[in-house]
Amino acid sequence: MATHPISGPKRTVRRKKLVLGVLAIASATAIGLSGCTSGGSGAAAPDPNKKITLSFWGSVPNEAKSVAIWNKAHPNIHVDLHQETGDDGSKVPAAVDAGTGPDIAQVSQHSLPDYVINKRAINIAPYIKNTKNLYTPAAWSSVQFGDAIYGVPQDSGPAGLLYRTDIFKKYGLTPPATWDDYVADAQKLHAANPSIYLGQFSPAEFGMYYQTMVQAGGSWYGISGNSWKVSVNDAGNQKVAALWQGLLDQKLLKVVQMWTPEYWKDVDSGQIASISYAAWFPQLLKQNAAKLSGKWAVAPEPTFAGSTAGGESGGAAMVVLKGTKYPKQAAEFSSWFDSNKASVDILVSQGGLFPAAKIGLQSPTLDQADPYFGGEKVFSVFKAAALISPDTAQNGPGFDKLTSDLADQFGKVASGSETFAQALDSVQASTVANLKSQGLSVK
Amino acid sequence: MTQAVPGQPLRLADRSPARRRSGRGSGAAPWVFLAPFIVLFLMFLVAPIVVAIGTSLFKVQKSGLGFDTASKTVFVGIQNYATALADPAFIAGFGRVLLFGIVQVPVMLALALIFALLLDSARTKFKRVLRLGVFLPFAIPGVVAALLWGFLYQPGVSPIVEGLKSIGISVDFLSSGSVLWSIANVSTWSYTGVNMIILFSALQTVPRELFEAARIDGAGELRTAFSIKVPLIAPALLLTALFSVIGTLQLFNEPTILKNLTTNITTEYTPNMAVFATTQANGNLNLGSAMAIILGLVTFILSVVVSSVSNRRGRNA
Repeated sequence: MATHPISGPKRTVRRKKLVLGVLAIASATAIGLSGCTSGGSGAAAPDPNKKITLSFWGSVPNEAKSVAIWNKAHPNIHVDLHQETGDDGSKVPAAVDAGTGPDIAQVSQHSLPDYVINKRAINIAPYIKNTKNLYTPAAWSSVQFGDAIYGVPQDSGPAGLLYRTDIFKKYGLTPPATWDDYVADAQKLHAANPSIYLGQFSPAEFGMYYQTMVQAGGSWYGISGNSWKVSVNDAGNQKVAALWQGLLDQKLLKVVQMWTPEYWKDVDSGQIASISYAAWFPQLLKQNAAKLSGKWAVAPEPTFAGSTAGGESGGAAMVVLKGTKYPKQAAEFSSWFDSNKASVDILVSQGGLFPAAKIGLQSPTLDQADPYFGGEKVFSVFKAAALISPDTAQNGPGFDKLTSDLADQFGKVASGSETFAQALDSVQASTVANLKSQGLSVK
Repeated sequence: MTQAVPGQPLRLADRSPARRRSGRGSGAAPWVFLAPFIVLFLMFLVAPIVVAIGTSLFKVQKSGLGFDTASKTVFVGIQNYATALADPAFIAGFGRVLLFGIVQVPVMLALALIFALLLDSARTKFKRVLRLGVFLPFAIPGVVAALLWGFLYQPGVSPIVEGLKSIGISVDFLSSGSVLWSIANVSTWSYTGVNMIILFSALQTVPRELFEAARIDGAGELRTAFSIKVPLIAPALLLTALFSVIGTLQLFNEPTILKNLTTNITTEYTPNMAVFATTQANGNLNLGSAMAIILGLVTFILSVVVSSVSNRRGRNA
């Protein structure tokens, strides 16, 4: 290892990497150990006239304007915003463990259980009573674990189907109402022109799978008493697996890694006739495929037979973190931030997020006609979808490992060495093993 | 240092350890000069390794849902090592980088040797351009190099793939069978130059008289290269081999970047990527530490093997 006395220019970069890695592990361990002994910082006795400061790490663009509104209205509870850039959200867990974390942070809803089991998030149920109805059911279900509430839902990702009007017109297709129609459309399109695909299969893009899985009534996790349930291959998952396997076997999907230059080339050149994804996707499509302006439209996500449910891939939540001295005030601010009309309007219009709060759905920004989508009010479809997404999907620990395992297995599906059903069984087994190895109870 | 006796040339024997011992001054001075190194070495190399070994022997034990119950850190001995060694993906990663090394290292060193010999040859023209051209890729950070090659590998945007397609040859640089060699190509492109420089420097230290003697004996350029130059720079060649073996085992940047382009690179594609995934994505520092220690040990053992081969060769020569 790095103990070898010879050092040369060639590999120093990689050696440094290992040393840094070891160092990171070492320091994180030290932090972890110290984290065990500290803690137990209870809520301070509330003194309404005392001026306090809450620190808040967030990543939504222009959210400082919302914070400013709060600060003006609450002179005694000052919120200090640290605007995160890029990926520095990943430093939040380390900061919390070190006792140097903020009072509040924006966290992916999917990561919440890992925050909780690692004692980084605080149950705020006592402080935000009767706020459940402020949010869409799917968004609320992502922060609720039994009786505990571990965050305030901020945004969500209801699914819709973006499709190329020119291609649909040319080949006589109509937006599919059900997944059966979708398969029929895909067959028709592929028969007419084998180089055009109705949709894509992007093995590493778990969100596309997740939203359809949620729509089918599936859930990767569940809670049963004092145990986790892992259900990566439950009936809902199997339903999607069967649908996707059929499409893939008939070569009706373009297999391509999403977000790559190759992907946007496929989109630009019209090889992908429709993209089913979350409410935040239209913005990215506009940025990356600007020259296709006016050629896209949006339709509701196709539904499964016998159901009207929409799809949902999840969003972020405001989480009150361990170590805060003011859990009550932090929870109150989080609740205000994500559900106050003025605040949410800013987050929607200038932060670009799709709100979890019902009041946010009334934001005028979401009613604007978009020339890129042929003058259509593109968000009306997503607004409707947000209210019909199932609230049955439960998040659980080990989510990041689950999705990276899923990407690895779906890669095998893409190369034809495995079926979707086998991939799900494999991820089910590895997730159960992962939870058990941490000592968690799994049923 | 030893002192030369006036009028007498300094003999090699004067540098014997015994002489040096007798000539040393106070014992503190060397330590003062060594202190910065020793302190940093202990702080940033030895201590982290010790902590990593310590961490690898423990495990964070949760219970139930893990929500309300406190988690305990318990001593588990070598359990994490057993878990790591029983993980087929982790072991497969070692197999993969070894296969990679067996093919890529000889190819890269052969190229580096050829370039070094060409640079050293009196007959080669445009030496400066050649030297700069071969060395330049090393100046490009590994991540950037991987991004750059990623473009050239991707169907749809790659002029190479599209060009070959237009003449009827269909290639996929990112398929499950070819992607390892696509990574090897990036490594070779990046690191041939610096190996060439090391070998070229070694060639510069070979006394020129030997080449003259060889020429007088009737040896041509090729004969001189393979019978005189290559044997004389064998130690440098083995040194570059050692670095390359270490670098191969620690392969991380290139596959991590190319992973964004293809799922044929899995999360635990190389041992280093497995360590990263375990500690970062899954937050398991204990298991990750054990994996890092295993990787370190394997690298250390391979380094010892390579350098002992080198020493034996050196004695036999």
